[in-house]
Amino acid sequence: MKLPLKLYVTAALVSLIGLADAIYLTVEHVTGQSVRCTIVAGCSEVLSSQYAVVAGVPLAAIGAAAYFSVFSLATLAAFGYRVAGTLLTPLVLLMFLVSLWLIYLQAFVIHAFCQFCLLSAAVTAALTVITLFARRATRLS
Amino acid sequence: MKRILPFLIILVVLGAALASAYYLTRSAPGTTTRVTQTPPSPSSSAATNAQQRPVALKGVPGAEPPHTLGPANAPVQLEEFGDFQCPPCGMFHPILKQMHEEFGDKLRITFREFPLVPAHRHAVAAASSAEAAGLQGKFWQMHALLYEHQADWKDKMDVGPIFEGYARQIGLDIERWKKDVTSEQVAQRIFLDGRRGHSMGVAGTPTVFINGREVPFESLIAEKLRVVIQNELAASGSR
Repeated sequence: MKLPLKLYVTAALVSLIGLADAIYLTVEHVTGQSVRCTIVAGCSEVLSSQYAVVAGVPLAAIGAAAYFSVFSLATLAAFGYRVAGTLLTPLVLLMFLVSLWLIYLQAFVIHAFCQFCLLSAAVTAALTVITLFARRATRLS
Repeated sequence: MKRILPFLIILVVLGAALASAYYLTRSAPGTTTRVTQTPPSPSSSAATNAQQRPVALKGVPGAEPPHTLGPANAPVQLEEFGDFQCPPCGMFHPILKQMHEEFGDKLRITFREFPLVPAHRHAVAAASSAEAAGLQGKFWQMHALLYEHQADWKDKMDVGPIFEGYARQIGLDIERWKKDVTSEQVAQRIFLDGRRGHSMGVAGTPTVFINGREVPFESLIAEKLRVVIQNELAASGSR
């Protein structure tokens, strides 16, 4: 298996972790469980904040759509669709920037961290590294 | 085949994602008690209601006497497990106040302590302050101050002077209140309420039971809670 292919397959698999996390958060948000306080600090403060919803849509649902897009593009790229690989890079970079913004909000505005949001940020960071390597490897090959 | 394989994989993942979202939504706690938009007519048979609604939970006893508003024989018995440092509990406070004003003698509200430790570092101190105020007959006054000024103290390092200020504001005997805050009696009340909550499956706050049945969290807004209470009144024939 060539290096770019391996990296795109890895990106697709890693994006599934983000997708599962985002689906869980979306369901928690929709059913209202996430905004209840639990013995685990943070998530209720973060998910009940004004930043958890964008234009009436839970941010977690937007995240789930983004992770699904990453999975689709990475899968297509792994099967040789070069356009998919080209589209994947800006999408992942945008997600990375949004993640940085969300970490800033948690740290300095909401003053609480949600572990599931942090997992999502870690997944996005990993995807950014993998995608940039994949892009470089594709160019070199 | 190789051309369509990636699209097949994507479709399979999409299907799995939607199926898991559906499954998680269905199995979320509290979603078994659905809110119907139209309250049932008083003529609805008790048997039908019994079939549709989950079994009422009794749980082990909490602290006695409990902190209540409304008559003991009210047809709708609402029990809240709350944490004074929990923001959603703070948001629920005015809603419950509104329900108390709207339904008057038809609704009895009971508050149970459920401080979430270690998530909320001042939760026990706040619960103790309210319980100590309760020993002087002023639980609800302290309860209101703690919730209405939650933003003023929840992120502070030392809440002692703030809570003492509230105690002065509602005219408590300060020396007695200070002694009671750290007393075994107050600690025992908080413990008993917490034990009752655990026996009823409470895992977070606010958790609300109406006539022993958990109200889904998404129904803890005025418009929906009003319908739940009206449904209970209709079911009891008191509407």
